[in-house]
Amino acid sequence: MELIRVDTKHAYKILREKITSLELKPGQALDIGRLANQLDIAQASVKEALRLLAHDHLVEAPPRGLYVTELHLDDLKKISGIRLRLETYSAQEAAQHRTPDDLVILTSLCEKKAEDTGELFELDHKFHQAIAQAAHNKYLANTLEHFYGLSKRLWYLALPYLDFLPTAVESHIKLVEAIEEKEGETAGEIMHTHISDFYQKIKRIITERDLMGSAR
Amino acid sequence: MNAHNESPKKEPLVLGIDTGGTYTDGVLLEYNTHKILATHKSLTTKRDFAIGIENVIAEIDIEDPSAIQMVSVSTTLATNAIAEGKGKRVALFLIGYDPDLIDSFQLSDRFATPNFHYISGGHDLHGHEKEELDLSGLLSKVDEIKRRVDAIAISSYFSPRNPEHEIRAQKAVSSVCELPIVLGHQLSTKLGSVERATTAALNASLLAVLQEFIIAVRRAMEHRGIEAPLMVVRGDGTLMNDEFAARTPVETIHSGPAASAIGGRFLSQKQNALVIDVGGTTTDFALIQDGKVTISEKGATAAGYQTAVKAADLLSIGLGGDSYITTDRKNEIVIGPERVVPLAYLSHQYPNVKQRLQALTKRSWPAPSPAELEYWFLQREIEDESGFSDREMDLIHLLESGPKPVKKLLEKMDVLDQSQLNIQDLWREEILGKSGFTPTDILHIEGLHKPWDMEASQASLTVFCNYLSMEKEAFLKFIWDEIAKKIASAVVHFLTEKKIPGDEVEEENLGKWFLTNSLFPHHPHLETSIQLRDSIVGIGAPAQVMIQQAADMLNTELILPDHYAVANATGAVAGSVMVTEEVLIYPHLSADKVDVIGYYVQSREERSEYEALESALENAKQQGEEKARSAALRSGADNPQVVVDVHQEGMDTYRVTAKAVGKPRLEV
Repeated sequence: MELIRVDTKHAYKILREKITSLELKPGQALDIGRLANQLDIAQASVKEALRLLAHDHLVEAPPRGLYVTELHLDDLKKISGIRLRLETYSAQEAAQHRTPDDLVILTSLCEKKAEDTGELFELDHKFHQAIAQAAHNKYLANTLEHFYGLSKRLWYLALPYLDFLPTAVESHIKLVEAIEEKEGETAGEIMHTHISDFYQKIKRIITERDLMGSAR
Repeated sequence: MNAHNESPKKEPLVLGIDTGGTYTDGVLLEYNTHKILATHKSLTTKRDFAIGIENVIAEIDIEDPSAIQMVSVSTTLATNAIAEGKGKRVALFLIGYDPDLIDSFQLSDRFATPNFHYISGGHDLHGHEKEELDLSGLLSKVDEIKRRVDAIAISSYFSPRNPEHEIRAQKAVSSVCELPIVLGHQLSTKLGSVERATTAALNASLLAVLQEFIIAVRRAMEHRGIEAPLMVVRGDGTLMNDEFAARTPVETIHSGPAASAIGGRFLSQKQNALVIDVGGTTTDFALIQDGKVTISEKGATAAGYQTAVKAADLLSIGLGGDSYITTDRKNEIVIGPERVVPLAYLSHQYPNVKQRLQALTKRSWPAPSPAELEYWFLQREIEDESGFSDREMDLIHLLESGPKPVKKLLEKMDVLDQSQLNIQDLWREEILGKSGFTPTDILHIEGLHKPWDMEASQASLTVFCNYLSMEKEAFLKFIWDEIAKKIASAVVHFLTEKKIPGDEVEEENLGKWFLTNSLFPHHPHLETSIQLRDSIVGIGAPAQVMIQQAADMLNTELILPDHYAVANATGAVAGSVMVTEEVLIYPHLSADKVDVIGYYVQSREERSEYEALESALENAKQQGEEKARSAALRSGADNPQVVVDVHQEGMDTYRVTAKAVGKPRLEV
């Protein structure tokens, strides 16, 4: 029986955030000793945390050394393809299985206003998590969480050039209405458009500005 | 000390660490043979307990750190953090609590956080929903306060009977914010709603405190090359692994004294005894019955907050080896409760202290008062001058060249009394230290324990005696008598919960007279006595000298096991891993509350219903056993044994308690 140690969990949380927010850049080499010193956490835990992150596909361990996983335009296509289908499915299922509590949570999340980008990310993340929760399928929720982590890096990459937020918030509200009315098909469609718009915009920014090159 | 390299087979080694009020003790022992291989004492750093522990881990004499298979820590961290308000900011949500009731009984200051909010909802005694849960009210409140707190605690009315509202609230709150959430029913299955809320709030405020502590200890272990499970002692003396401790920090309240009691039992091999642990700051009392530390029914109290946490039944008094001995305004001798650095130690560090003390003995008119023996000194350098007042900085500069007598300092600072200085922060942050005459100095004078400067102690004693015009022998006898009286009185107080009036005889009250005459015989003809049936097991460095006389007064023997000076740290590794799971059974009543339709079986996570009581009981026992066993395994127990008990609590209401106990699993 192996348990995740307290300090490993802590290290995992911090490092995951650093990678998904591009503070640790794609392709960057990871030095366990140095990270342990920076975070003031035991090396064994940092190592274990990086192993978990490799599981998340955020860290790569080629025969020698540890690196933050690279980002390619090709990845965007692959990640978005899966997430598009899963999120659509999630919205459809949520419309089927949502409880009154789920609706209270979703409504409350829609009403919130983010004060900065960090909060905006968190809020959007929470919203998609809450939909997956409303679908009442933990496998779906876990899988989505994984892809959310991967796609967050793309978002951060495009972040300085993005300005499409109000529409996203608007589609959130419509989505909650559809879920409330148990209209699965509509919910799926709104989510589909919402997600594919998002990736198209990201893709455009990344290609136009050749951000994949500069991210390294 | 190095016997372990001779044994051909590698014995598993364990490292126990205890952080007391004055010292952090470490003991390295062979787990199976109980042989103590090395011990270490370092000063406790109250501003950051991890520093003292890091010192012990870094400096204890270990031949092969990789042979250590468990590190276990008992710590006053939680108790201290609560007492000093160092816990994190918590918002407490009270679901279904009656605000008027709380107000009318003035219970609101018992919640351990000023930030509490009423939400409608909750259940009744029978687990029926009392009122609908106002989830959107809860969420909008969370949104309002989430930026101002570090954690959230939720307690709903009668949640041990039905935790549904707490669980729904947790799901919703975790969907909208990242703050850690603590639920009342997970910490207490008792029905006291105020204690449950307090426990949840305190637990929430300690989460980050204990997490940081564990991370620091882990880091120190790694620096020394120790890769082993880390355990933390609970307030009842049992162990839990660090992962459990990080989730239920509130259970570490009283962890230190509980470990001492366990250590006393372990070293003395006594199944029944009164354990008295004399530390530098306090003396702690605990009772061992049938090999176990007795548990307080009321639940642990920390800084005046009554919790629902199981903890050893303890009494702690402000008397220890480093208790300050001085005279009060009426020129009467007082011992403690303040703790100071013994003059023998200060003089050992700064030899010119002795010269002045010896000079004081020669000044005959006016005889210097014991107040002139008090020294202040710098405990550590300050990193940053900003944040200190000019006055504080003046004082710090005055002390940079070494310790100074307070009298001189006050003259230089141009004030008459200490209270005019306004330097509380310097004490609290352990920048300033105080030194004075202590029982430890007397031990030096009597040659019983003399690692430091005996002559400084001797000179201080002379100052005392000159001032009070007492013979040295009479003075010393007076001090030891006082200490014995304090300890003997505390024993009676602890065992009977009755206060001892002191040695002033009350002629009118026969009971008091009898007790006083038994402890402090004064009647010329009538001899009365009181006898403690159990032996006293004395632990802690000054135990021998400080307890013997009290044991005589109580007509019992004093047992001082080998290594009694570090029994507390031994107790940190001698405990068992224990997990208790409780399952409640209560009736499902018909709508008119007359008939019993069925029986609910309520565990921490789930509720099920049965028609017949027998099947409900059977299921509850089975659930309890399985849950306790798997939690004990996760908590680091090796091959846990489970004992299941059923208590009837009222009409058709039963409590099934499953206790899983096992030795800690060592890494092999």
